Amino acid sequence: MLAIVDDNGVKRYLVTLNINGDSYTRVVKANTLLVNFLREELNLTGTKKGCELGDCGSCTVLMDGKPVNSCIVLVMEAEGHEITTIEGVAQNDKLDRVQESFVEHAAIQCGYCTPGMVLSAKALLTKNPHPTEHEIREAIAGNLCRCTGYVNIVKAILAAAGEQ
Amino acid sequence: MNLPDFDYCMPDSLQDACSLLAEKGPGAMVLAGGTDLLNKMKHGLLAPAALISLKKLDQLASIDYVPGKGVVIGARATHNTIVNSALLQKMYPSVCEAAHHMANNQVRNVGTIGGNIANAVPSADLPPILIALGALITLVSTKGERVIPLEDFFAGPGKTHLSQGEILTAIVIPDNSFTGSTYIKFGLRRSGALAVVGVAVALEMDGQTCKNARIALGAVAPVPMRAQQAEAVITGKTVNDDLLEEAGVCAATECKPISDIRGSEEYRRDMVRVFTKRALRKAINEGHV
Amino acid sequence: MSDNYTQIGKSVTRIDALEKVTGRAKYTADMKFPNMLVGKLLLSPHAHARIINIDTSEAEKLPGVKAVITHRDVPDKKYGLSPARWDENIFCIDKVRYVGDKVAAVAAIDEETVYKALKLIKVDYEVLPAVFDPFEAMKEGAPQIFDIYPGNINTEIHQHFGDVDQAFKEAYYVRTDRLDGQRTYQCPLEPHATIAYWEGSRVTVYSSIQSVHYLQYYLAQVFGLKMGDVRVVKTYIGGGFGGKMDPSGLDFASVALAKKTGRPVKMFFDREDMFYNNRGRHAQFMNFTTGVTKEGKILGVHADFVMDGGAYTGLGVASAYYAGALLTILYDFENYKFDMYRVVTNLPGCGAQRGHGQPQPRFAFESHLDNIAEHLGIDPLEMRILNARKPGTMTVQGFKVDSYGLKEAMEKARDISGWRDKKGKLPPGQGIGMGNGGFVSGAGYAIYRTDLPHSVATIKVTDDGTSAILYTGAIEIGQGSDTVLCQMAAEAMGYRYEDMKIVAGDTDLAAHDLGAYASRQTLMSGAAVKQAGEEVKKLILETAAGMMDVSAGELDCRDGIVFVKSNPQITKTFAEAARTYFVKHGQLIGRGSYRPPKLGGVHKGSAVGTSPAYSAATQVAEVEIDRETGEVQVKEAWDVHDCGFVINPALLHAQVHGAFYMGMGESIWEEVLFDQNGKLINGNLAEYRLPTALDMPPVASELVDTVDPNAPWGVKEVGEGATTPTMGCISNAIYDAIGVRVKSLPITYEKIWRALKEKK
Repeated sequence: MLAIVDDNGVKRYLVTLNINGDSYTRVVKANTLLVNFLREELNLTGTKKGCELGDCGSCTVLMDGKPVNSCIVLVMEAEGHEITTIEGVAQNDKLDRVQESFVEHAAIQCGYCTPGMVLSAKALLTKNPHPTEHEIREAIAGNLCRCTGYVNIVKAILAAAGEQ
Repeated sequence: MNLPDFDYCMPDSLQDACSLLAEKGPGAMVLAGGTDLLNKMKHGLLAPAALISLKKLDQLASIDYVPGKGVVIGARATHNTIVNSALLQKMYPSVCEAAHHMANNQVRNVGTIGGNIANAVPSADLPPILIALGALITLVSTKGERVIPLEDFFAGPGKTHLSQGEILTAIVIPDNSFTGSTYIKFGLRRSGALAVVGVAVALEMDGQTCKNARIALGAVAPVPMRAQQAEAVITGKTVNDDLLEEAGVCAATECKPISDIRGSEEYRRDMVRVFTKRALRKAINEGHV
Repeated sequence: MSDNYTQIGKSVTRIDALEKVTGRAKYTADMKFPNMLVGKLLLSPHAHARIINIDTSEAEKLPGVKAVITHRDVPDKKYGLSPARWDENIFCIDKVRYVGDKVAAVAAIDEETVYKALKLIKVDYEVLPAVFDPFEAMKEGAPQIFDIYPGNINTEIHQHFGDVDQAFKEAYYVRTDRLDGQRTYQCPLEPHATIAYWEGSRVTVYSSIQSVHYLQYYLAQVFGLKMGDVRVVKTYIGGGFGGKMDPSGLDFASVALAKKTGRPVKMFFDREDMFYNNRGRHAQFMNFTTGVTKEGKILGVHADFVMDGGAYTGLGVASAYYAGALLTILYDFENYKFDMYRVVTNLPGCGAQRGHGQPQPRFAFESHLDNIAEHLGIDPLEMRILNARKPGTMTVQGFKVDSYGLKEAMEKARDISGWRDKKGKLPPGQGIGMGNGGFVSGAGYAIYRTDLPHSVATIKVTDDGTSAILYTGAIEIGQGSDTVLCQMAAEAMGYRYEDMKIVAGDTDLAAHDLGAYASRQTLMSGAAVKQAGEEVKKLILETAAGMMDVSAGELDCRDGIVFVKSNPQITKTFAEAARTYFVKHGQLIGRGSYRPPKLGGVHKGSAVGTSPAYSAATQVAEVEIDRETGEVQVKEAWDVHDCGFVINPALLHAQVHGAFYMGMGESIWEEVLFDQNGKLINGNLAEYRLPTALDMPPVASELVDTVDPNAPWGVKEVGEGATTPTMGCISNAIYDAIGVRVKSLPITYEKIWRALKEKK
């Protein structure tokens, strides 16, 4: 772990993060949160801030395939893990099946919860390709949505699962 | 929201972690998952000068059965690791259930059992079931190692008997003869809710006679507490619905809930009665669930 | 009917789906400008206090801080969304009136510096006694919060139509019920954010706002600018539900900070700030007295209410009028008395939240009607069918209701929910209940007195005709307005939705529109869009006629193909005709405009409640209660809606799901709570409980067919009306399950437990 201290005594650390398969090396303060690093440093604004306390899931990213709230993960702790953001879900210009299903089933309204929802759904289907409806609701229970009542979101995930 | 500045250390070994903790003094805190710690720092409730990350200490994240000892859960095991542990699902699915009740999936992928215990929120979901199963915890520092019952670890809301320089490294569920255990969480919505009342029981039944009962309550006292009078009501007796109701009433009397935005004291007491009864019935009928 | 249309009545994919599902959509806080600063507001820690002194010197010295402003640095002109009540300043001048009130603002090079700077601003307060309960606030000797609202009465309404006293004398049964609602908050998932930058004497403001027009208007007013020098733009908006109608302190402060620093300034709220900014639902304390015949026909109603307005008015005056205005829409009765006091308290100001003033009165009235039905021994659904307004009638306040399918909606809801097999037949602890609701499809009058049209639309067909761009001030907040307006444009032009593009919500680039509130856009913005499309179609047909050597009257255009009506094999493409037009005449542009006809009665406040068309809805829900704990599970719900012609069925049903979800949350879980000093206790998403995916039941959403003559293609609203039946529906279902009425929202598990305990 390489640290440098500037003239004002402020300590910064050299980190390399693996985001969507690419490596990014930056110098950050220890108190830098992953969500802010993604949004401000890398301009990956698909990850949203809704509460900054881990209650709403808007900031969900995958860490080694597992959904986490990036608002309560330090960049220092994220180093060494594979991070997937919403920008890493589509393959070039081809949508992931989960994304297509969200679009087909009108599971998107204001869209603010969508990136987090898609990632939670994708993580679920990777681990459990044929989940029950209850398992789907469990998987997205940490992603709050104020627009859809989750109705079409659950339908979309079930449909995407049905096709695997 | 904003985190204050702090120094960050990432020791390679437990020994290094203890040395750093001792060296940095009271301004340093251990960082496991950070799901509670970072939020407290954002709210200005804590401002440690240094965080000592346990990130590299993989040996603290495993869950094993050690013959002669029991199930050993590393303090760095996340809640979802516990939920998905084949070993725990086989031996103590009640512990998996309790871990599953915590917060939401994203938090469970990061938040650790050690952090949950050390954070000492009275409504935490894991302590009651662990206490009911007679769990012990291992605390390590440069001065050595000590093992104490989990139920003696809590000192008050947000306070524990962790000494300066100590790191909680493991939780042990000792071998026992419990025939059933369960944890019921009563929260105000089906996910992302703190327990209004949490009741855990572990029982040893011999037919319909209860040979040994341990009842632990969460969210109804400054610390997770044993309902020992309620235990006495059923211990050595042949259980029936009336007896379980009596145990519930007793637990309701001995707990010390407060009124807050999640529930009044009166309501909590009655919920202790209801869920003690239900938890006992469940553990008697269904084993470890 | 819908077979005649090719672009509307279809569940086409949302026009913004791709941007949103890939994370490419940029919401206001996602945007960055070169040399941009970040800013936040300093909020008051006291509920009621005089400001003695503000010392910003330490904050200004902090490296990285570029400006710190207070009331001294901005105009002191008062504003407020209701012109009748301009009671707010950009920053408090002499006193703060609630914990969270706006005291100062900081702009700095990064977020971390902003937070540090806020802590360095020193404010000396003289704390004053505060009042947090509207009944206490109205008492003699209560702390006076404003000089302009003596006795803390912000709005007082006394309306009387017909003669309720006589009606009560003639009634077979007269009943009074008192029911209370709670303070809730819209809680859109996207926090408010604003970015402002100046170019010379002109300012551009990006804001997460439901009306670019009203914001432009008030920014110009308060800063003394020409409206032409203010450009307001919205990008993507992550939900509003009424909470982003009132300009927030961010909008004004960012303009001032951008001027002072000469740099773009981005300001934002965190979640707790949002709760303090509020403009959410007023808590209403409601007395209902109703007289009915033996058969249950309503003869007269007296609604006597008090509402807690919080510290500032914003849209709250309209809320006070709406609370009573729409009670006469659903059920036809001739005698109606409405008394209301909107009271000022030292809490965050309340405004318009989905259903605007109506949902809680609906909760109370629907519960009250069920109580009456029970007393009379009549099925509550049948009693309502008896009272349902018929289409083509007028309410006592002079609201003309043309299409109205409430009766049909109730009959359908009764059938699809299995009401007759379930009501009174479910095991103890299980219950079924219903509630009715509905809303205006846009308000008959704008928020401030104006002669401007309410909606203007422009369509530009591109030079080669391969796409057409709709310019509208209508605001997409998630409800789908971008999509349905493009569908409507395409239909009106005879074009294809797939070839449409949209520029919306930019006061420079797009056309004037009052914005997304009062559930107005499908009808009102749609009417303007239809007219614009029809003008384009007319020009296309005229041009094609010249190319095809026929008269324009012999032609029609559908799906981008112009054809001879009597011989459809003879065609020209829309694109060919468009290009030819462009070559001959220049840009092919269609324009439309909509202004509601003069509506409503002549009494005070008669503007509120007017609308060209009214929606109607019935909801039925089944609940199961754990009778030892009071835990409520909503097991299943049905909604049957009369929302006129449906432009996009998928989006419509999605709105119904979401509206039911919000109403359900407010029925059982949601309440904003303060401590004894007026400080928020649960301004976060852990303790302000939004239902999660595990809490949401299956919802069946169905329709009844009506076509309103006052609307383009007969459309009506759904976005707000769908929340108005929910609280009454759930209240009645819970009553059915446990036989005890919980008289205040939210109907929490503990309240149910207590009600059952007291019953024993």
